[in-house]
Amino acid sequence: MDLSRESPRLVVVVGSGGVGKTTLAAALGVASAAAGVPTLVMTFDPARRLKDTLGIGAISGDREVPVAVERGELAASLLDARATFDRLVERYAPDPASRDRILRNRFYDELAGNLAGVLEYMAVERLFEVAAGGRYGRVVLDTPPTRQAIDFLEAPRRIVGFLDSGALRIALKPWFDEAGRLRPAQRFGALGRRAERFLDEVVGLGLLRDMAEFFQAFAPLYDGFRQRAREVETLLRAPETEFLLVAGPGEERVPDTLFFARRLLEAGMRLRAVIVNRLHPAPEESRRAELRNADPRDGRALVRWQGERDRRGVEQLRALLAELALIEVPALLSPPQSAAELGDLGARLAVDLRSTRAPVDRPRAR
Amino acid sequence: MPWRELFTTRLRGGHPTCGAGGRRLPTGTLRSEPAGTSTLNPLDLLADRQLVVVTGKGGVGKTTIAAVLGRALALAGRRVTVLECDPRESLYQMLGVAPSGGERVEAGPRLAFRNLKPRAELDAVVRDRLPLEFLTRRVLASPVYQHFADAAPGMKELAIIGHAYRLVGAASGRGPADCVVLDAPATGHGLSLLAAPALVAQAVGAGPIGKMAEELRGWAGDPGRCAVVVVTQAEDMPVAEALELGEALRRRGGGDALLVANGLYPPLPTDTEPADPWLALWIAERTGNERELARLAAGWSGPRVALPLLALERGPVLVEALRRRFEGGGEPWT
Repeated sequence: MDLSRESPRLVVVVGSGGVGKTTLAAALGVASAAAGVPTLVMTFDPARRLKDTLGIGAISGDREVPVAVERGELAASLLDARATFDRLVERYAPDPASRDRILRNRFYDELAGNLAGVLEYMAVERLFEVAAGGRYGRVVLDTPPTRQAIDFLEAPRRIVGFLDSGALRIALKPWFDEAGRLRPAQRFGALGRRAERFLDEVVGLGLLRDMAEFFQAFAPLYDGFRQRAREVETLLRAPETEFLLVAGPGEERVPDTLFFARRLLEAGMRLRAVIVNRLHPAPEESRRAELRNADPRDGRALVRWQGERDRRGVEQLRALLAELALIEVPALLSPPQSAAELGDLGARLAVDLRSTRAPVDRPRAR
Repeated sequence: MPWRELFTTRLRGGHPTCGAGGRRLPTGTLRSEPAGTSTLNPLDLLADRQLVVVTGKGGVGKTTIAAVLGRALALAGRRVTVLECDPRESLYQMLGVAPSGGERVEAGPRLAFRNLKPRAELDAVVRDRLPLEFLTRRVLASPVYQHFADAAPGMKELAIIGHAYRLVGAASGRGPADCVVLDAPATGHGLSLLAAPALVAQAVGAGPIGKMAEELRGWAGDPGRCAVVVVTQAEDMPVAEALELGEALRRRGGGDALLVANGLYPPLPTDTEPADPWLALWIAERTGNERELARLAAGWSGPRVALPLLALERGPVLVEALRRRFEGGGEPWT
């Protein structure tokens, strides 16, 4: 990956929560801008310091704000799923009345914040808005901190499956007429009525009515929404989109990393490299034997023990990932405090990335 | 039909007694002095609780602490079940047993664990309510139910808490466990777990589910019966999230949560030694730890315990070492 080239236009940084994904995404953004490509970093939930460094936060909302960098053009934005969802509704709603019906619906209120995958989907959705604007040559997309991280990839399909539920609308019909009023059940005879009554009990009529209302109000939006979700899916698999998988160090994380890498490849995503972040310095070979049960008061021995654990982890990953590039990033003594320090980290990453092979040139993982 | 009691029995007052065969725990109340500054065994803070919800940001050692608490409470004489909600199991490694696969697994004297499938729990409600297999199949296959189970806010969480409620026999006074330690999903979800009963009670209103939600809300919100343990690491992001969570829990009412700051580097030596990369990183990490501990001390009003980083692989040996330290009150806070 050569950041001074035009492609990839979209870099998706994925990985489990707490592995330093957001910092690396920001660092990559600074490096990309320095390489001459106007770049936008889109991020979720960065640490306070990083927010300050990038100049994003409560005031900026989810707007893009320019970041002061030494070279090039960089902007950053904070992703806000709810705001994006609201905007979508506003865009696709045929008239203000239907818009308000949706925005005020209690079920929408819960759905917008709670449905698994909404945040992930909205990330890509927002990305689309930005891409359509055409102001940036490259977007570096940080992904939400899910434990599974893979949720991100399945989000568009899941959301569409959910919203596109003609099945659900039909299924809700026996309860409600077009105006959302409860109608007496007639369709299933005695046994069916019993099942229905149970569903009424489980779901609760209030919630059911909210759902029915929501789906009726949402109906005019389906086409736009479905269309967009298909585009999002295409974008994630586009030749100009590449994925970087960030992993925590240490042997015990190897299965997770491997699982995720495999899922990305199986899903047809173009995974460029695995970045193992925050590696502790490996111990001198002569000291390896004495690491087990180190004196817990000896912090140096603890760090050596972590270093050994991390070294073994990298060794295992290298053996298992075969053709896939693995980039090692050592633990920093302090997190990057300024755009310049982010740039230093990014520049080192860029050097390592340059020697990685494009996903198409790589034999497909079995 | 274990779920039936949820629909038919009214919640009874009073606390369950400790299981036989072990030492009896004193009845603790959550105190606000930091546990690390006194000789108090922080386990006393959880004594006699029926539910201990362990929550925190992902990757901070939540599952490890859930295992530590499960072991400690079982050793103290209570019959404990540790419940894990993450579909990718890891708790079994910490307890040194085989994966659960959704089944109950014995993990030692008075200690069992189980990986919960929330959807399966919800399905169990349906089976329990509908004795006819034909009807059950029909409901489970119905698209309304499918979408509802996936999307209705709070239902899965309600099923998880309901499972704990049933295990400790909160309604009947007698269940297979005295205490459930719940390894909750990472913070955002952890909070929605605790908020679920109120949410569902409000959304569903009357009817059996609404009644159940109402009962569970009373139970999970009673600080005498349910305790919350917030696990964090002394680093910027996890601490910020722990403080936010603490604030949200306080607003919810239901008593102070116990904070566990996990993975501390040891205090630095007083003499300066020649720098090498390992010492440099130790200094950096410990300095960060101390800054964040100070932030927690200023911002956390409830009790708190600090636990050290140990050179041990994830597993029962680590859990045992941490348990002893936890019961000793943990590391000094400064």
